[in-house]
Amino acid sequence: MAKNITIYTTNTCSYCVMVKRWLGSKGISYEEVNLEQYPDRQAEALSMSGALTVPITVVTKNDDSKEVIVGYNLARLAPAIA
Amino acid sequence: MEPDKKNIHDLVVVGAGPAALSAAIYTCREDIDTLLIEKGAIGGLAAVTDWVDNYPGFAKGIAGLNLSEEMRKQAERFGAKFELDEVLKISIEDGLHRLKMHGGDVYAKAVLIATGSDYRKIGVPGETEFYARGVHYCATCDGAFYRDKKLVVVGGGNSAVQEAMFLTKFASHIDMLVRGPSFRASEVLQHELNNHKDKITVHFNTTTDEIVGAEGKVTKVIGTDKTTNQKKEFITDGVFVFVGLDPNSGFLVGSGVELDEFRFIKSDIRLMTNVPGIFVAGDVRSGATMQIASASGEGATSALMIREYLNEMNREGTSSVKIEQ
Repeated sequence: MAKNITIYTTNTCSYCVMVKRWLGSKGISYEEVNLEQYPDRQAEALSMSGALTVPITVVTKNDDSKEVIVGYNLARLAPAIA
Repeated sequence: MEPDKKNIHDLVVVGAGPAALSAAIYTCREDIDTLLIEKGAIGGLAAVTDWVDNYPGFAKGIAGLNLSEEMRKQAERFGAKFELDEVLKISIEDGLHRLKMHGGDVYAKAVLIATGSDYRKIGVPGETEFYARGVHYCATCDGAFYRDKKLVVVGGGNSAVQEAMFLTKFASHIDMLVRGPSFRASEVLQHELNNHKDKITVHFNTTTDEIVGAEGKVTKVIGTDKTTNQKKEFITDGVFVFVGLDPNSGFLVGSGVELDEFRFIKSDIRLMTNVPGIFVAGDVRSGATMQIASASGEGATSALMIREYLNEMNREGTSSVKIEQ
């Protein structure tokens, strides 16, 4: 079970919209960090994922371990939030 | 072992882009039990296209994501089912097509392959090393990281021109490296590109030879001017590559489905492959025009051919049939 979820996005990223819509359809809340709005957090996203791309979804689990999912990858996202 | 009846479908569509969704709209509307299997994004590459201006029915154009969403909703309205998984292998078992996936197997009386294509890599040193850290293939996803920075765009076709223009929203300057002596992009797009001359410099007859970086960041691209054979350096913060598309057909190795020399799937005039019951539509088909409207049309055509094939199967009482042409 996820304790919280953070999604790093940009304004024009279609895959970001897909991830948000998918979480929304499951009734799961998340925090969104728009990297265009907060460019100072780009380094944080890069260090967490190793990739300068979006979406980056960070799932923090109940034991505080984190799972980082790059892209619209429901095959990884679905089990991560289960 | 007998296939689990719950896992047998009239039609399994591999992929969920415009060709797949159009086919599903037709087959589901006719009560053909249809399952779509998608490993990536519903909507395929169309979903990440910033703006689609040439799909009929949208006088002002439509965002690729919204077009894909509408197609998905329309297919779901008629009962299309989606499964998020990856097809690893297709084989024939007990007269049915068996599709092996990470999450288990499904069986189908007919299969439509509509897996589309993916952006082609250029295959030069540095491309893999800086992947997603300076080398990108999706402008709408990653363009925003290059606000007020310099970029190189590689390619001279429709995608390259369209995406370069999109990237001017962010970049301070773009060098476009075009291997040939002219663009392959449409006249309309080339005309639009003229409106961005202040930000885009086009270099024809220029190859892309190496992507160079330091401390994990791209710093320059080395190319060759083919007219003088001189090396040229382009100082940049990032590279966007749009040099064509490669078919997503790797999972068909060993399936018996015939591919052409570029690994696109061969088909007859009814869009059936050489394996009875396996059809193909959209960008992955040999001879496809790589247009969303064409892919949708092929999806509809394949659905009608599949209906005919399934009807013939039911009449014959056989597990697979050859449709006479």
